[in-house]
Amino acid sequence: MEIFLKGLFLLADLKVILIIMASAIYGLFVGAMPGLTATMAAALLVPFTFFMDPVPALVSIVTMSAMAIFAGDIPAALVRIPGTPSSAAYTQDSFELTRQGKAEQVLGADVLFSAIGGLIGAVILMSSAPILAEIALAFTSFEYFWLAAMGLSATVMVSSGSQIKGALSVVLGLFLSTIGVDITLGLPRFTFGSVELLNGVNFIPAMIGLFGLSEVIRSVMEGELRYPIASVQTGNLFRGMWGLCRRYKVNVLRSGLIGTFIGILPGAGADIAAWVAYAASKRFSKEPHKYGHGSIEAIVDAGTANNSCLAGDWVPALVFGIPGDSITAIVIGVLFMKGLRPGPMIFEQQPDIIYAVYLAFILANLLMVPFGYLAIKCSSQMLRVPRNILMPGILMFCIVGSFAINNTVFDVGIMFVMGVIGYFLEANGFPVAPVVLGIVLGPIVEKNFMMSMIKTEWNVALFFTRPVSAILCILTILIWFFPLFMALIERARGKQPMRNGVKS
Amino acid sequence: MKRNDRIAGMIFIALGIFILTQTYSYPSLEKGHPGPGLFPNLLAILFMVFGGVLVARSRRLGASVESIEKPPKPTAERIVNACSVLGLIVLFVVVVDHVGFLITSALLLFLLMKRLGVSLLRSAASSILITLFINLMFAKLLRVPLPPGILSW
Repeated sequence: MEIFLKGLFLLADLKVILIIMASAIYGLFVGAMPGLTATMAAALLVPFTFFMDPVPALVSIVTMSAMAIFAGDIPAALVRIPGTPSSAAYTQDSFELTRQGKAEQVLGADVLFSAIGGLIGAVILMSSAPILAEIALAFTSFEYFWLAAMGLSATVMVSSGSQIKGALSVVLGLFLSTIGVDITLGLPRFTFGSVELLNGVNFIPAMIGLFGLSEVIRSVMEGELRYPIASVQTGNLFRGMWGLCRRYKVNVLRSGLIGTFIGILPGAGADIAAWVAYAASKRFSKEPHKYGHGSIEAIVDAGTANNSCLAGDWVPALVFGIPGDSITAIVIGVLFMKGLRPGPMIFEQQPDIIYAVYLAFILANLLMVPFGYLAIKCSSQMLRVPRNILMPGILMFCIVGSFAINNTVFDVGIMFVMGVIGYFLEANGFPVAPVVLGIVLGPIVEKNFMMSMIKTEWNVALFFTRPVSAILCILTILIWFFPLFMALIERARGKQPMRNGVKS
Repeated sequence: MKRNDRIAGMIFIALGIFILTQTYSYPSLEKGHPGPGLFPNLLAILFMVFGGVLVARSRRLGASVESIEKPPKPTAERIVNACSVLGLIVLFVVVVDHVGFLITSALLLFLLMKRLGVSLLRSAASSILITLFINLMFAKLLRVPLPPGILSW
């Protein structure tokens, strides 16, 4: 309790409060702009967090991401384009309801159930992370190797589109992580004589390139998006919400749990959570025929799940240092830069940081109701910001942000190269998020493998005979066979896979 | 998509082979245990295996479902747009130390916005506002030493 108060004390600082406000507005804007994702928002936020203390840095990322995932619902309802991929699952339903004159109800449900979902996730994060951290204290390099391998496997399995492409993205990320001085002998690998590359590919410029610059390139290749902006009267957004809460209380609980669980799974993020909750919702619904034609139940379910997922993503990130999604992968990069090693020790040595994250989740989701309300009121102005002015602005942020970290032009070069790689990957159907997870998990996999081998004189059997290690190994192998398993189920049912069932 | 997949697969296979040529000369640990080359070699094999699967699969699938998702082919104008974005970064890096951040940024943003079809007045106003905003955030708030150049503020 004392530490909890200490965490509250850390947040009750004028500077921190201002940062929370600014992050909230930033998150709402980026989330509501079609084509700008929450991951991109995180990548562009990182140069700022680099100059902050750890607590405000983490708090700003938490607040920003919660707001962005909610705000993605706004253009889904108004112009039928999801603001972030996490709103794609129920875009059709949101827009159909708007067309039926129920925009008020949709947007009210979006903001309210996003907040409730976020709070469910926060409660699960707060209750499960400390317990898992206790268990994780007993983990050695063998177990960490398997955890990282499990994270990589899960990333491949849930990657959108083809799994072969997801796998290649992961391997590319792992390869990028090998650039620089090797950990066993200090041998420079793939540096081609460059002194700047000895410390490896600088993480922040790489992220800004992969998620910022690549989006700018894609946007100018697509040209100006033209969409008619529905002018909707939004009077009292929260009318009838109490009724929805009572009617769908089981749905909210179920989707909150689904979302958080998917978040805890390494590599799966809020977009997957929304799709799974949508599918589950349809299965258990009394009115499945409404799905895709304007079902408020679908919006309640998927909208709860994608926000609860965010807190779940932080569980493996804080407890094991294994990212739950691409945003927490960036967070882990930030923590490393600040000299903090995410893992069970952080719970004992710097509990105030952990409590600050908990409180930030609660605060951000409580703030979501008034802030979200204002964002909805300003939404038609926000959606009118022309992209051909916005994109050059973002480009300049990418350049200056990459430069700012080490004051070197070399980092701008890294941003450039990664941006081009990111663009070509995405344009050819290769998911980009697995690349980041590869970059973050690569050193963990290699270091723990080499350490385990060197300290036991290459006794490989220990990876399989240590009890916890063996369990993690079996789980990893189960993940590998998961798609096969699912395909068999689908075949037995003779049904189309979930993604094709709903048009986005 | 089919042809692109084949090219992408071949690029990854080539990357795998390239890694192997580099790691060939890496030393091993004492008693001949694998060292710095182990992990890159494993990745090289994975690149070649997955790349190979991608190539093989692109041959097997005809002009199938995937072609529906294919976006319209980018026009020459759009490709010039993308090149201007990349060119802007290169120009920025070359010029910024001599001219300073404020002028470089405002000028390049103005040119890019014009290129993307924004009107003269709006381009001028927005490029100056964005530059001042970035200067405020990074130079004033975060105290990043942006190159001052001729004009310092």
